Amino acid sequence: MSTRWYPIYQRGNPQLRIFLPNFWMKLVRPEEKQPKNVVQFKVPTGMTNYDIENYLKKIYKIKVIKVESSIENGKMKRAIFNKYGPIVKEDDFRRAFVTMPRDQEFEFPDVCTTEEFKKRTAEDEKSSKVSQDMYKDFLKKQGNRPGLPGWFSF
Amino acid sequence: MAFRILSKCHIFKYITNTTFHTNLRSKDIHISTVHRDLMEFFDDKKNWAVEQIKVGRSWSKDELRIKSNQDLHKLWYVLLKERNMLLTMEHECKAQFELFPNPERIDKVEESMNNLETVVRERNEAYYKLEVGESAERPGQLVTNLLGLNFFYRKFEHLIPKFLNKQWRNKHTFNVVNGNIEKFQRLYREKLHNANRKSRNRDRNHVMHLMKRYPNMDMEAVKQQYPSVDIEKIKNYHKVRGHYVP
Repeated sequence: MSTRWYPIYQRGNPQLRIFLPNFWMKLVRPEEKQPKNVVQFKVPTGMTNYDIENYLKKIYKIKVIKVESSIENGKMKRAIFNKYGPIVKEDDFRRAFVTMPRDQEFEFPDVCTTEEFKKRTAEDEKSSKVSQDMYKDFLKKQGNRPGLPGWFSF
Repeated sequence: MAFRILSKCHIFKYITNTTFHTNLRSKDIHISTVHRDLMEFFDDKKNWAVEQIKVGRSWSKDELRIKSNQDLHKLWYVLLKERNMLLTMEHECKAQFELFPNPERIDKVEESMNNLETVVRERNEAYYKLEVGESAERPGQLVTNLLGLNFFYRKFEHLIPKFLNKQWRNKHTFNVVNGNIEKFQRLYREKLHNANRKSRNRDRNHVMHLMKRYPNMDMEAVKQQYPSVDIEKIKNYHKVRGHYVP
């Protein structure tokens, strides 16, 4: 958007006031074990620690004690998984660790495993097991004589 | 890349306190926003690990144009939170090797955010044209750089004006005549010319082979798709004739 750019800092009011912030924030599961009041975020590289603090305080109404962040490189990988595939790089991001007050706790919820999900996957597993057993039976019958059709038997 | 501010945005100057979190009270309705802290980064519990989530369409520009500035300001934060939620869920699903249900939701939210911003920009532009008499768009101009190439320079605010900034002036004097720029420009133009020539030849060859394979082709359509090819000239070429006795 053409009207979005940084004005220079000037003393006094009105201070830099952001009406339509365009920053995204991802809450991610921490790779390392963290204290219970520490939350890990992925944010765009252009965000500062003050930005992160204000974002959480003003928009999400979360009490923030401390913010630590660092810019991380996006992963390099092959777009097609063989040695001839073109190399692509994922976007860089900023990893932020936000400390909340000591009495607050946050545990990352299991979003991908619910009771319904387990029920659904159990059915899938059951059917796949049936087909596996059928294939084993087939091999028992036909394993010694490859190439013969399945009906050629007593 | 995220940017920050609508520095010239005057349509929001009356919004001093953001009211999107306070309780909404009126004669008929009473809505208080749900306060969920960090769980706002996640979807509703009933939408966890399901195969499909049905949602509506995005906000169109015409719908947003009839909203007030305050409503737009509130809607922006709703959309922002929604996008954060969707990005978080997508990331978690990817990490757990699961499918993220209906990923087009992110596109819908982003489309509505773009629409909202264009509407705000329109209003800002109108306000500026009326009150100040100049455009609210970011100023810019065509500038020649060190290599003699033109590009559109988007201006921004500086502490020191141009004519007082000696350091900048020394850095940005490009009128040195030593032949290097001319040489670069010549080679650059040659490169562009070659690319253009090759694409023209490629098109012509392609059309010739098409004509060979499909003699009863609709030539008007071909002319429209490949405007650089002179079909009348090609018609008598040897390559166009197929492997048959005419």
